[in-house]
Amino acid sequence: MSGASLTLDPAPRSEAAEAVRLEVREFLAAELAAGSFSPHVDTWLSGVDPAFSHKLGERGWLGMTWPKEYGGHERTAMERYAVTEELLAAGAPVAAHWIADRQSGPNLLRYGTEAQRAEILPKIAAGECFFVIGMSEPDSGSDLASIRTKATRDANGDWVVSGAKVWTSNAHHSHYAIVLVRTSPADRDSRHAGMSQLLIDLSLPGIAINPIRILDGGHHFNEVVFDDVIVPGDMLLGEEGAGWHQVTAELAFERSGPERFLSTYPLVAEFGRRAADTQDPAQLAALGRLSARLLALRQLSLRIAAALDRGELPNIPAALVKDVGTTFEADVIDEIRRVTDVPASLDSPDPLGRALAEAQLHAPGYTLRGGTNEILRGIVARGLGLR
Amino acid sequence: MSDQDLVVETVRDLLAAHEPFVLTPERPWDEALWQALVETGLTGVGISEEAGGSGGELADAVAVVRTLAAGAAAVPVAEQLLVAGPALTAAGLAVPSWDVPVTVAVAPSVTATADGAGYRLTGTAAGVAWTGVAAQVAVLAGSGDDLVLALVDTAGLPAPVAANLAGEPRGTLTFDATPAAGAALTAEQADAVRARYALARAVQLAAALEQVLAWTVQYAGERVQFGRPLAKFQAIQMELAEMAGEVTAVTALTDAAVQALDRDEGVVLAAAAAKVRAGAAVEVVARLAHQVHGAIGFTQEYRLHHLTRRCWSWRDEAGSELVWSRLLGAGLVAGGSGEDLWIRLTRVV
Repeated sequence: MSGASLTLDPAPRSEAAEAVRLEVREFLAAELAAGSFSPHVDTWLSGVDPAFSHKLGERGWLGMTWPKEYGGHERTAMERYAVTEELLAAGAPVAAHWIADRQSGPNLLRYGTEAQRAEILPKIAAGECFFVIGMSEPDSGSDLASIRTKATRDANGDWVVSGAKVWTSNAHHSHYAIVLVRTSPADRDSRHAGMSQLLIDLSLPGIAINPIRILDGGHHFNEVVFDDVIVPGDMLLGEEGAGWHQVTAELAFERSGPERFLSTYPLVAEFGRRAADTQDPAQLAALGRLSARLLALRQLSLRIAAALDRGELPNIPAALVKDVGTTFEADVIDEIRRVTDVPASLDSPDPLGRALAEAQLHAPGYTLRGGTNEILRGIVARGLGLR
Repeated sequence: MSDQDLVVETVRDLLAAHEPFVLTPERPWDEALWQALVETGLTGVGISEEAGGSGGELADAVAVVRTLAAGAAAVPVAEQLLVAGPALTAAGLAVPSWDVPVTVAVAPSVTATADGAGYRLTGTAAGVAWTGVAAQVAVLAGSGDDLVLALVDTAGLPAPVAANLAGEPRGTLTFDATPAAGAALTAEQADAVRARYALARAVQLAAALEQVLAWTVQYAGERVQFGRPLAKFQAIQMELAEMAGEVTAVTALTDAAVQALDRDEGVVLAAAAAKVRAGAAVEVVARLAHQVHGAIGFTQEYRLHHLTRRCWSWRDEAGSELVWSRLLGAGLVAGGSGEDLWIRLTRVV
């Protein structure tokens, strides 16, 4: 294909990944039997359960790929892929730790100081320390380089932060935010210069966390306001001025995982039960079409995990998979609606009706969060050599 | 350089001397290209030397088929190398020569009746690829409750002219107590033949769609309107990116299904998924490719139709998306209440 940067080699088979997959299935079956959770759609956003996250930490399923000296388990990205995929498919409550395990930890590992790593990474791996992403602002969505939250050094060498971040998922349950700030004024000729990342303890004075409710009434998003918050000088993450570069690397982790096509899988599972009961040919065909798309996405996502194991940061394939995957997440609803006659309602006596409602009310988010599909297609276009 | 890279290079060299052309009833295939493939041993790739082939792996045969598909080559190689060849060899049926094309017909309504050491076939098989071109056909026929794979010499069989959307021969074969060599197949073996055929078409589709994308990207970079190449317009970039997403998904799943076949795992659901995914991608990729190409892509003089017309037909052949998606859905929830859907999905490929 033209644009070789779009394609990745097939993922090798991983016996270790298949072994841990079975362990996770056993764990989930026991948890379900004990009633510790009930499956829901989009639980990596909405399923906050610190006790469940702690259990995963105890089993060594958080910080899986990190060095042991920081509480990690030195396992492969393929093994981590199997664990995350099983948790998502089961609709398990994984939101509390999701961001910390997926991207904040790897970001710290890559750019953090020794003190930052030693202090925070073991807590993340134990399922005891949760993170929120501080990128978007009220006036900066897709155009991330236009952020205005600023940090200036005071006489003591500490940072004084003022501004506001939005769409901060589960900030009200989190301990830290990694916040992209301007540390130098915006430069018209070099839009990506002058930004830095700060590691901010959310319990510091001057921070207000205000809820922003989404369509189903759920409180996941927040506005986090920084009113001249004093952040210790040693909480700079990485290099001053290298914020844009670091954020770009972080996005490879943010965009590449199975949560970009499995957010509505619990709805597919519910629909599968329905089709098994009815044996309706149209429903079986719809299940087949959805399954074929899902299986293709799985192969793409596995290839990315294998690329991560090779030490690559496959930004462009990750953008492509997220575009195709999140489109699928929303299409699941429409495909199922065409072959069933179940009104979507959170109060439905029918579990399929409830799953449809959960999926529908979360649907606008799938193709927005972590980079809109229009932005992602722009990145793919660059991979095709068009930009 | 892998073995497959060498194979691909050899086939590309041959294709360079054999450009695709508009197929007609008078010239329904590229006989000269076929002869060139025979001379280089490529019509027997992946078929063991004991069975008269050239040896090599499944991956080599797939590389040949992919490269020919991307080149819109009018030769029955996918049928021979990926379906008829392996199926006949596995059934222990000797093929006199791989130098003359062997095609395949999935026709359980054709009745095979035992006759001495062989069979006699009666009935009609519709939509058979390369009728009038193939010298032999491997027929998956019915025999009471059982299935038989039969090898029939097509010389003397009536083959009325019929073609798919690309002009490739797709005729009806009528058997009237036609003598054939044959072997009984188990239901699993018969399913595997059908699955191989579907996977062969998926492999061809994956390669063709990839080439369509490459042509469209190239065209968008060259065609200038409003003072700049089409590729610089954001609307066009979005369309090309969408095409790339589809193509990449098809390739990944098809590759995985081929690997499953290579490992000799149960391949029916994997082939079903690959065929459904590839067929669905045609809708998007062919539509957008023509949209970006504009009117020139709508003409016989320009190359695009050599692949888009094939894609529109290949998605229907060897089982349409409806047939395979229903089979895939049913297979994933068979015998259960659907509780095991995820576990079954993760076993498909």
